Amino acid sequence: MARLGLNLMKCPADFWEEPTLLMTRRHAMLASTGALLGTTPFARPALAESGPILIGWLAALTGPSSAPAIGFDRGVRFAADEINAAGGVKGRKVEIVTRDTQGDPTKAVNAVQDMIGRQKVNSIWGPTNSGEALATTAVMARAKMPNMHPCVVDTLIDPAKYPNAFRIAPSNGQWDDAVRNYCLNVLKVKEVAVVGDTTGYGVSAVAASVAAFKKDGANVVYQAQIDATQPDVTPDMLRMKNAGAKVLVVWSVATGMEARLMNERATLGWDAPIIGHPALGSGDVRQLLEKPANWDKVYMAGYASCSYDANGKLPPRTADFVARLAGKVSLQDSSLWWVAAGYDAVKLVTDAVNATGSSTSEAIIGYWNGLRDYPGMFGTYTWTPQQHNGYPTKEVVMSQANSQKDGAFKLAPGYA
Amino acid sequence: MFSSILWTGLAIGAIYALIAVTYNVMFSASRVMSFTAGQVGMLGGVIGAWLILRLHMPIIIGFPLTLLGCAAVGVLTEIVAVRPVIAGLEKHLYVLSTLALALMMQQFTAIEWSTEPQPFPRIVGAGFALDEKFWLPLLACAAVIVGLELLYRHTLVGRAFLAIAEDNYAARALGLPERGLRIASFALAGAIAGLAGFAGGQLLLASIANGPMLNFYGFVPVALGGLGNNRGAIVSGLLLGVFQQAANFLFGGVFVSVAVFAAFIVVLMAAPQGLFGAAPTRRV
Repeated sequence: MARLGLNLMKCPADFWEEPTLLMTRRHAMLASTGALLGTTPFARPALAESGPILIGWLAALTGPSSAPAIGFDRGVRFAADEINAAGGVKGRKVEIVTRDTQGDPTKAVNAVQDMIGRQKVNSIWGPTNSGEALATTAVMARAKMPNMHPCVVDTLIDPAKYPNAFRIAPSNGQWDDAVRNYCLNVLKVKEVAVVGDTTGYGVSAVAASVAAFKKDGANVVYQAQIDATQPDVTPDMLRMKNAGAKVLVVWSVATGMEARLMNERATLGWDAPIIGHPALGSGDVRQLLEKPANWDKVYMAGYASCSYDANGKLPPRTADFVARLAGKVSLQDSSLWWVAAGYDAVKLVTDAVNATGSSTSEAIIGYWNGLRDYPGMFGTYTWTPQQHNGYPTKEVVMSQANSQKDGAFKLAPGYA
Repeated sequence: MFSSILWTGLAIGAIYALIAVTYNVMFSASRVMSFTAGQVGMLGGVIGAWLILRLHMPIIIGFPLTLLGCAAVGVLTEIVAVRPVIAGLEKHLYVLSTLALALMMQQFTAIEWSTEPQPFPRIVGAGFALDEKFWLPLLACAAVIVGLELLYRHTLVGRAFLAIAEDNYAARALGLPERGLRIASFALAGAIAGLAGFAGGQLLLASIANGPMLNFYGFVPVALGGLGNNRGAIVSGLLLGVFQQAANFLFGGVFVSVAVFAAFIVVLMAAPQGLFGAAPTRRV
């Protein structure tokens, strides 16, 4: 029925004008049989267990902030193609049911309801930004739908409230831990300025970061919110400098604001390191810099799996993955971790089906809850029934923001 | 610090002032407060960066094309968001129609351009004591003041604009082509907003986020200067920019907006018609 519905949606005019051309007697018989089976409580699981493994993919492929989803999508497609080329999982093919949410929480909720109610997917990957996830997580929890996502907001993971939801990437708290550890234990500075933008994310991230720094004995000499559209950040930078900050911690995805901070730091002749959110390494920052040197001494939260060591080598598992991607997936305009996490998201579902022989929600969730040190391409994941943050904090490292090559970054000084 | 407050404040203020003039020019011709003004200003930066940096056009071609493009958007505003609702001005439907068009402009730009700020090209280059990103908006503002004075005082078309603004019905009764003049006014307003975005491109960058910001802060000088009063809008815009930058130094963060709007409310309480507006009179 779902497939028939999709076909009809592709040619609505033909359907409404000449329905008999499309709805043949055989289709009608199949449709009515399907409807009958759909209403029989024991029939559908039998069909589902032998048909393709359906993975819903909530992708913000267009609209604002679409770059990550485009990267994730490359990994998802690559994984599905690779698995299907090898014969599938116990004879079952993998099908990706993609819905473009455009980053809109309302569209994401509608897509989830469609995937659960009509498409009957076995698991959902995504959404990939926290705004959407805040809207969809409860909907998926009600349907007990196995859900893997990479969104960073800490409250999205709560095994008691959402036993179906698992995080494949670090939480914001883990980024914060890595940044704080780098400031206090690697750079060994205690005078810290913490700034963010005026969005909800910026405000909450600064508050959490300041509290954690203070708890660890750091001296937070300045904290503030900066409007991302503020054309001149001189006043803020002067206040930070005059307060005696030795390092600037920045929590924002606003690349314009980050570039302005770097440019102003250079104008003031200041060399305090800027450390923080992964957006500090975005290509959008590079083109807004007045001089390439303004990007020096800027370190961002990154990942051990997607970082070059002092010899310019990726970890062996990642290097093997990149070699498999060569010629099939472009890494020129994408972060490697997006592609790797998308790949892992599909593999985690198919490995669950392979290990348990079942694609039911209970089987997939149970499998994920029992994983210890699962060797993914993006990370080495561990989930338990009590802990659904699966990414190890020790694999969150600091990277040199200006060192991106083929989607990966060099480790920041102090790790080598 | 004083230098930063002065030059950054004046430059930002000049951009606000030009957006306020955009509001006024649209309002004078139609009695409609079009909330597309800031978005067209944003487009001035985006179209300029697109033509010069992405299509590699020389500035001498990219600049007039930017103004033409923004003028065309001004005309589009008149056709799509103003003309259909102008008959029922008292229902204030233009608020919805112009806001809807403004949102469409922003979404379209986000999809076709970028959601992230993009660089804007250097226009003149080095060789001046003061960086061009500070004096270009001021130069643009001065050019608009002079241009509008010449247009309104020394050309027949300019006088026709004034006639329409003064008394729409009487102007029509005299045979003036009201619709044509309204379209021309919206084209002029679009070009002024485009100039604001282009001249302020190095300061604001080519970013969709500038649309709502300019809509918001560009409206403040309109209210402070008195609706329809271009001189008031220019002075209020420049003062607003300097005050905002001073508040940036004194308070910083979210308190800047609070300071700006607290001052705005205080001024309006003291002078409801705006600093430069005449008190309303009624002929009896």
